[in-house]
Amino acid sequence: MSDELFNREEFISYFRDEAEELLQQIDADLLKLEEFVQTGETDPEIINSLFRALHTVKGSAGMLGFTDVQGLAHKLENLCDLLRKDRMPLSESVLEILFSGRDLLTELVEAAIGDQPSPTGVQEYIVKLDKFTAIYEQTAQVIEGHAAPQAGDAAAAPEQKEASPSDAEAFEAEVQRLLAEAAAQKEAQAASAPADVAQPAAVVPPPSATEPVAPKAAPAAAAAPGTAGASPNAEQKRSSIHQTIRVDIERLDSLLNLVGELVINRTRISDIANTLERLMADKASTAGGASSGIIAPLAKDLADSAALLARTTNEIQESIMKVRMVPIGQVFDRFPRLVRDVAKARGKEVQLVISGAETDLDKTIVDEVGEPLMHLLRNNVDHGIEPPDEREKLGKPRIGTISLNAYHEGNQIIIEVSDDGGGINLEKVRARGIKQGLISADDRLSDREIIELIFTPGFSTADVVSDVSGRGVGMDVVKRNIGRLKGIFDVDTSPGAGTRFTIKLPLTLAIIQALLVRVGEELYAIPLDSVIESQRVEMVDVRTVHGNEVITLRGQVVPLVRIAEFFELGGQRDPDKVMIVIVGLQGRQVGLVVDQFEGEQEIVIKPLSDVVGRIAGISGATILGNGSISLIIDVHSLVGEAYAGGKVARAEFSGV
Amino acid sequence: MADGREEKKQQFSGEVVQVVSFRLGSEEYGVDISQVQEIIRMVEITHVPRAPKFMEGVINLRGQLIPIIDLRTRFGMKRIDATKSTRIIVTEIGNKRVGMVVDSVSEVLNIPIENVEDAPEMIAGVGTEYIQGVGKMDERLIIMLDLTMVISGEEKQALEQVNEAVAT
Repeated sequence: MSDELFNREEFISYFRDEAEELLQQIDADLLKLEEFVQTGETDPEIINSLFRALHTVKGSAGMLGFTDVQGLAHKLENLCDLLRKDRMPLSESVLEILFSGRDLLTELVEAAIGDQPSPTGVQEYIVKLDKFTAIYEQTAQVIEGHAAPQAGDAAAAPEQKEASPSDAEAFEAEVQRLLAEAAAQKEAQAASAPADVAQPAAVVPPPSATEPVAPKAAPAAAAAPGTAGASPNAEQKRSSIHQTIRVDIERLDSLLNLVGELVINRTRISDIANTLERLMADKASTAGGASSGIIAPLAKDLADSAALLARTTNEIQESIMKVRMVPIGQVFDRFPRLVRDVAKARGKEVQLVISGAETDLDKTIVDEVGEPLMHLLRNNVDHGIEPPDEREKLGKPRIGTISLNAYHEGNQIIIEVSDDGGGINLEKVRARGIKQGLISADDRLSDREIIELIFTPGFSTADVVSDVSGRGVGMDVVKRNIGRLKGIFDVDTSPGAGTRFTIKLPLTLAIIQALLVRVGEELYAIPLDSVIESQRVEMVDVRTVHGNEVITLRGQVVPLVRIAEFFELGGQRDPDKVMIVIVGLQGRQVGLVVDQFEGEQEIVIKPLSDVVGRIAGISGATILGNGSISLIIDVHSLVGEAYAGGKVARAEFSGV
Repeated sequence: MADGREEKKQQFSGEVVQVVSFRLGSEEYGVDISQVQEIIRMVEITHVPRAPKFMEGVINLRGQLIPIIDLRTRFGMKRIDATKSTRIIVTEIGNKRVGMVVDSVSEVLNIPIENVEDAPEMIAGVGTEYIQGVGKMDERLIIMLDLTMVISGEEKQALEQVNEAVAT
């Protein structure tokens, strides 16, 4: 029994991933259809893709017994079927129904998985949908006589007919036939337009198209391979979604652990080979015993294969690190829809231009970066881009542009969110800050400091609280999340010309540069990104303030934390001088007193087992090249303790 | 109280209980073999500062960090330096892996279920909460440990530390 349960859980987790991907696909397709409505173009492949996605959701949900999801997907599928057969014209109203259907479907999926409470309004929606569909069904029946009775009946009275196997079969057959038809059509088009293969992002232009599709979120489509692949037949509908397999990240981690062990053993083998070779050389020069004639070549062989082993293990290690990397497009995909919805709600006209969707970064960061980006984009649409009429008056194009761009720079990934809107009104922010009591009227603040106010919890410049923004949540979330990912955040704004937010994130949280220090008998690792400098200080330069040790560094008073005392370690220390690592966090500095510096190294972060529990001052551990363990110092908690714990009052730092 | 112990005994299923037996001082203990992942020789243990007292530190087992409990400290016995026969029994309970330092590992025993009895109130300083039962093999008495209790109970440990602090 327990096996069955486990399998079901696994299925559900697959379903969750698959549904998420498909719902994004549906979004991308709907956005394209919306463009078609505006431009008057069409592409049957988009509707087919939409149909396939809904069909897959329906199938998977049915397998797991998520009848609500299955039912709604089925009805939406019916609606798409009408579109596909040209029995219903593509219009704004159809799309609105599809968009809200898609949202309900998302909520139903989340409810089924158990993440969210069941959504309300599903019944009302289905009634509306049925009514809408029924009108066209009837028309179709009148026009085509008995050409579409099965499909028509199923849609008009699905409650009774849904379970009937013959209907389902007929329906499946119809789907297959239509897919084949679409594929044939596709091939014919492909033959006349060979360039499409090279540019999968481009929507296949029908032969009548005279100009390229105007403003659109093209790169988003590039990241949605379902449409890009333009699958030649129905069999490929699954594989065209992604040429990948899903792997539990824990399995990758265990693989990485094993490789780490392999690396350590490789080092040992190399050592043995070297020692052996040296011994052979010594022996040959002194005695030249009979045995060395046999062993010497063996020693050389060993050295050779040790070198080969070294190269292979390094490559394996690198490959596994790469496997953990995923394109940031996975997050970007959901934004065109978000921008569209927010723009619509606020009466703005906005196009989102995405580039760099293929930029890789660590899976754990990709999962976390979505929320802050979402808040930024909302903010851009709501506060950045001006209303269309105002833009026209200013001599700007009616449609505002928001660019989302990602690229690698050294060991970091840079994500830029920029708009061509009005920029941040510093005076307004300042006035609002004074009104909300965040600053006082006679505070002199730099532009940078005024911008910082935006990220204060509860801050909002919006005069009216809307459902989009203005509640004062959002930007502080952005700052907090980016900080948690060990990222840096920057804002450039110029009045009238727009605002650019730049986020710099480390490529991976799993591997960091660290400064190794010795305290007593143990080695500790201090993340290098928080290390400002390290130096040796004579004890005469260490003074005390309220009984706490401090040093003065370039005019600033820096409190000291003796690691040996903090961690209650024993050991004798030099009474005349101390080794200090200055670490900084959000402008606060603390000097960590250690026994010795042991150099920099790249380390793989491993969490301490929860059996050990949470320990103040320790954020994890790492295994060094020689197999020994080094604990990683949690700079955040040490700095926090030094200040919040009242080691030195805050007042003593300002103005010194 | 008697009911609780009755339940513990019920946790053993089947005709015989297979246990890995080991020594701590003069006593012989046993853990259910299904919970034992492997037995390794003593290795260097990295001390974790500010961890609970019985937490000896962590070791690197093929790239995995395994927390190590010193059973002597856990049971309030005198600490001793590692000898040639000192072993670490790596156990797996749920998905938690924990190593236990013991004086020596003896053998795998098949103890008939009818020879397993409830634990007496107190055995040489080891609280009954850690004990699942006592197995009899010929003249030997094997104290069978409830590992879940051995590794959990941080709260209890923390409480003891608070009590100590109050006392001093």
